[in-house]
Amino acid sequence: MKNRVSNVGYGDRKPFLSAAAAVELRAEMDRQIDAQVVEWYANVPAAAHLESKDVDSEYYKRNLIETAWRIRLLRVAEAKALVEIAKQSPEAAQVWANYEMEEMLHDELFIQDLAKVGVSREEFLATEPYLSTKLLAGYFSYLLDHEGPLGVVAYSYLVEYVNVKLEPRKLVALKESIGEKNIGGQISHSHTDINDDHPGEVWAAVRHLIRGEQDVEAFKKYLAEHQTVLALYFKELADDTIAADEKTAV
Amino acid sequence: MKLHTLTLLPDGVEIALPEGSPLTDIEYETSEPLIPFGCRSGACGACVVEVVDGAEALGESDPEETDFLEDLGWADGNHRLACQCRLLDSATVRVVEN
Ligand code: FES
Repeated sequence: MKNRVSNVGYGDRKPFLSAAAAVELRAEMDRQIDAQVVEWYANVPAAAHLESKDVDSEYYKRNLIETAWRIRLLRVAEAKALVEIAKQSPEAAQVWANYEMEEMLHDELFIQDLAKVGVSREEFLATEPYLSTKLLAGYFSYLLDHEGPLGVVAYSYLVEYVNVKLEPRKLVALKESIGEKNIGGQISHSHTDINDDHPGEVWAAVRHLIRGEQDVEAFKKYLAEHQTVLALYFKELADDTIAADEKTAV
Repeated sequence: MKLHTLTLLPDGVEIALPEGSPLTDIEYETSEPLIPFGCRSGACGACVVEVVDGAEALGESDPEETDFLEDLGWADGNHRLACQCRLLDSATVRVVEN
């Protein structure tokens, strides 16, 4: 009788992309993200707000709260992603597990910074995440159930790439507006992303999960779709904080 | 994109990899497994290589790797676990027979 075991990453484990082709595709994806960032700054309300001199304190606090919630909600989905990744590629699963080991408790870094600006852990826990944050977590569930793990991994690549590229600039601005001793958690988070080469680590998983041209096309779409869902969040954040403050002031 | 060459002795097989690639990537460049990788996490000792040339090109060894190599009997500083190395420049290694 034929062995019925499947979905354990057997078979040809050679990646679809050669080492050189993977480097080329990564450069192409980076160019796509760079273009998305330009579009982001042009079209998303208050996209560069944290880089400004006068940071709205409600915007700042709520962004930290949502960031901590996003990490908490997505780590559940990202743990489920490990199961799906392991079915396809044990090599990618090993890389992903290591990446998650480093990221898993990073919500604590943001909660620490919240305490420094007067938001207690109880207050954080009593704050329900925005709908846009829940939608992102829901989108991850959809992807895992119906399209596989590549979209979830694509999100991490997008976030890690953008963090390494833009976070240092934001942290310089926040040191001025919020104070260096109040943003230690965010500095540590950024330090891990850069020094442990998180974009490179996630890309190594991506390379093993791309198994044909259709996956390359899907990856490009995922990057754009994640950006769209994150833009919903930034709109919700600006409406709820800066715009609401302006209304009260009138 | 910079390519560097890993030369594997005794046969002198040369594999070109992009800068910073983990050495485990050589497995995907040929049909033969040239280094016998096992756990790929520095835990099984299957992938010991003797560094013949270009020690710095393989990145720094962390204390856990060095300790494990010592336990395996390779305390001379010339050996590495290939799965823990990244190719930062061209290098030559010899696979150690277990
Ligand atoms: S493959 Fe197990 S120690 Fe390198």
